[in-house]
Amino acid sequence: MDVQPRDVAEEIKHLQRCINDLISVLALPARWIGGEPTQIVDVLLDALLRMLQLDLVYVQLNDTNGQAPVEMARLAQPQRPADQPHEIGKVLKQSLGTDVQKWPLLTQKLLGDLDISVVPLGLGLQGEIGVIVAGSKRADFPLQTERLILSVAANHASIALQEARLRSDQKRLASELDRLVAQRTTELASANTELRKEIAERKHAEEHLRRSEEKYRVILEAANDAVVSMDESGTILLANAAVRRIFGYDPVEIIGKPLTLLMPDYMRELHEGGFARYLATGQRHINWQGTELTALRKSGEEFPVEVSFGEQTRDGRKSFTGFLRDISKRRQAETALRAAMEERTRISAFREEIGVALSHQVDLKVALHNCAHAAVRHLDAAFARIWTLSGDGRELELQASAGMYTHLDGLHSRIAVGQHKIGLIAQERKPHLTNEAQNDPRVSDKDWARREKMTSFAGYPLVLEERLVGVMGMFSQKPLTESTLEALSYAAGIIAQGIERRRAEEALRRSEAFLAEGQRLGQIGSYSWRVATDKIEWSNELYRIYEFEIGVPVTLDLIRTRVHPQDISLYEKMVEKARDGGKNFEWQFRLLMADQSIKYLHSVAHAIRDQSGQLEYIAVAQDVTERRQSEEALRNTQAQLSRATRAATVGEFAASIAHEINQPLAAVVANGHACLRWLSAEPPGLARAQEAAERIVRDGKEAGEILRRIRALFKRAPLEKTGLNLNEVIVEVLRLLAGETSKRLVSVEMDLGNNLETVEGDRVQLQQLLFNLLQNGIEAMDRVAERPKKLFIRTRLQSPETVLVEIRDWGIGIENPEKAFEAFFTTKESGMGMGLAICRSIIDAHHGRLWAVPAEGCGTTFSFTLPAQPKVIA
Amino acid sequence: MSPDNPIVFVVDDDLRVREALSSLISSMGLQVAVFGSAKEFMESDKPDAPSCLVLDLQLPGTSGLELQQQLATGDAPPIVFISGHGDIPSSVSAMKAGAIEFLPKPFGDDELLRAINAAIARDRTARKQRSELTELQRHYALLTPREREVLPYVVAGFANKVTAADLGTSQITIGVHRGQIMRKMEAKSLAELIRMADRLGIARVSK
Repeated sequence: MDVQPRDVAEEIKHLQRCINDLISVLALPARWIGGEPTQIVDVLLDALLRMLQLDLVYVQLNDTNGQAPVEMARLAQPQRPADQPHEIGKVLKQSLGTDVQKWPLLTQKLLGDLDISVVPLGLGLQGEIGVIVAGSKRADFPLQTERLILSVAANHASIALQEARLRSDQKRLASELDRLVAQRTTELASANTELRKEIAERKHAEEHLRRSEEKYRVILEAANDAVVSMDESGTILLANAAVRRIFGYDPVEIIGKPLTLLMPDYMRELHEGGFARYLATGQRHINWQGTELTALRKSGEEFPVEVSFGEQTRDGRKSFTGFLRDISKRRQAETALRAAMEERTRISAFREEIGVALSHQVDLKVALHNCAHAAVRHLDAAFARIWTLSGDGRELELQASAGMYTHLDGLHSRIAVGQHKIGLIAQERKPHLTNEAQNDPRVSDKDWARREKMTSFAGYPLVLEERLVGVMGMFSQKPLTESTLEALSYAAGIIAQGIERRRAEEALRRSEAFLAEGQRLGQIGSYSWRVATDKIEWSNELYRIYEFEIGVPVTLDLIRTRVHPQDISLYEKMVEKARDGGKNFEWQFRLLMADQSIKYLHSVAHAIRDQSGQLEYIAVAQDVTERRQSEEALRNTQAQLSRATRAATVGEFAASIAHEINQPLAAVVANGHACLRWLSAEPPGLARAQEAAERIVRDGKEAGEILRRIRALFKRAPLEKTGLNLNEVIVEVLRLLAGETSKRLVSVEMDLGNNLETVEGDRVQLQQLLFNLLQNGIEAMDRVAERPKKLFIRTRLQSPETVLVEIRDWGIGIENPEKAFEAFFTTKESGMGMGLAICRSIIDAHHGRLWAVPAEGCGTTFSFTLPAQPKVIA
Repeated sequence: MSPDNPIVFVVDDDLRVREALSSLISSMGLQVAVFGSAKEFMESDKPDAPSCLVLDLQLPGTSGLELQQQLATGDAPPIVFISGHGDIPSSVSAMKAGAIEFLPKPFGDDELLRAINAAIARDRTARKQRSELTELQRHYALLTPREREVLPYVVAGFANKVTAADLGTSQITIGVHRGQIMRKMEAKSLAELIRMADRLGIARVSK
């Protein structure tokens, strides 16, 4: 289909011309009646050359009698003597191959030397008659209309040529017979003279005649055509063996019967009338050579015959001999040829309608409906349907239904892939074709098929590049022909393309919409900048960011008006660099908007070169103002947070120092007072005063120790590593925590390994590590009521080089143990989340490893390893 | 041990504090008994003597404030709280619940002695009031049902004649009941009988 947009008037003119041409072509057979093949071809060549304004038209006719093919040609402008049919045929064969029957029919082919597009068309059903080649210097040759005209002309010519060929065969045979009859007559006459002259030779002559008659009889009996002779009364005198084959009568049976026996009723009167007139006036009422009439078989069947007959006069009486050829097969062939031509026309209409539907219809559903409708109209489908594959690939969705059923809902509106015949076609990706629809195992409702007289079913998967996009199916009351299947197969291909193209267009539209939406949401604009011409194209979002009206032509100067005055030099440098560089670049600058607000723009540009080597940048620019502002806000918040954190830490430490110190201090003060009171009592309680004083010393020392410990906590002194036994450190820390464990009713169990290697470490830091871990374990069990609170501490030598310490609590557990070591992670309502982070830094400083895992049942096990001190070998 | 020799109970989980306070309070001439937890204190036998409780706010298990709540219903000794934390919300609730004093650690002996004395004095008064009421209840228990019926009329100041009419008996009978009531309740005057009835919570008949 020529889809070039054309002037409508031009188009109408073109179509009118096409119709005129078609009418002319359809008139050709009238001119061909009775013509010789070469005459037919002559007319055909002239007509086509003129009608289609061809530059070249060539015909080659195959000869059935084994002689060289006949070649004929016409050129629009004959130039050289060499441009003879044979020369043209040679050129064509060089280009299209020597076997004419294998020439690609209806395919455009450029003849190199002549610079001509040629289209070969076969003559006859299989090209058995020959081939016609049309050629034109026009690049767009052949147009669809020209193809159509060529096809129709070729079809008509095929029929005419075939008829001409048959006719020439018959003529040859008939003239042969005439010649034989005339010869015989002459011989008979001379024989009579001989008889009169020489009676003695009579016997010889009779013998001769008998042999001669025998010869004719042999010819007659061997003839393919029925030969019947009759006398002036119309009585059959003679019939050959072929009469049996053609008419079904024994030849003997009809001799002596009227010839009208071999005619249908309605022919008899005509025959008798015509025959009587001839006998009376010598006027023939029908052509004696090759007249087509209807004959009657013994069975009562009527059939077409071609009749040629001659007359002979003997003893003043006329007798007539007719040759009757059964042409029902030829008629059938003609009918088939006509049907094939009609089918070809219908199929090309079907293809054309599908092509138009898929290329012109914007809406896929409408396009598919038109395709289904085309199948109903041109392929005799009772109904045709098209399904498309759903997005998830599991179901087929009915999109179009034409013919008997046009609804799109109901049972077959959604078919799972693999179910029913349609789903199976999708699954197997193979067409399912049957001309036995009523017995086909895949047709589920056979009652329906019988009721509706369905004969055939054709289902095709719609597959594009090995991807299934849908299924097309049709039922028909007529059997499917090869060419229908070919057309359906072709249609399946282009419908699949149509669906896919529509989907791709839809996807493109969607992704374009997404892109625009994405740009809008992300405040990201895109642009291209062709450096040589300074042609700049912006996306709509970029216009919005710059606050220019969408569509305003963008220039570097226009952009410059928005650049913040302080960033102008930056901007100019960027432009300069981009012009020479041709590299990807990234930059940030500020825009000063009309309302004096400032926008921060971040742009990333990608350099590309087109085919001619011209530099172009494809780039995105994002409005990062909000991000800049929120980064600013985040920095402020973090500063506030860290100030608050410091304050809270100080407060917390103060409170815990107060608590640690208060207990011994309270004891010291109370003991001091007690001591004084005992001393000032009457009589003084010296022993008790002394006890009190001793306690003062003891508790005072303890307070001092606590203070030292707290100081050590803050001291950022370098590690004082000494050889330590971790068991001892653990016992010391547990002593410090004794108050805590008893207050919180936590029992402590220990399994401290004997022979523990000493580790090298800072005592105070390791104390703090253990203190934190144990304190942590104790606090993890604060809210535990349903089970005893217990801490379990185990030490052992993991390897000769490593000491392992495990602290297991039966507390609430930690969801994400590794996260617990991050600073500020806490599960406690009051707590800085620093404890475990400090622990980790201590362990790191000791080249050890610290980790936590959920303990079996409940709680957590904290473990750490420290390298054992290398033994000094004495 | 004389029944009026007061005793100070100390509950603190810190052994050092317990030792120090035990010595200090002894040096004040007071009996002292120390406990490591609220549970220990609750389970101990306590002598029938004026007493006070020096209670640490932070205790393992039952906390100081929880113990105070548990004791609020009975004839518990007044409480002097001591605390390592100058925790204002806790001290406020302790005082609201009737604590005598709230001493942040460390505290001086005078402060402690003053608080203990005040607590013991309050306990003495409370104990005295409790024993007087017990005596009155014992006397009241001696009254016959009829006398208990008559008592509200007497303390309301009704004449015998009115009472007799109300209770459906004679003026003379009421006079006899009245004499018995005065004798059994050991009231020296009608005014004293009225005070006694008030303390026993007997409502006067009103007309």
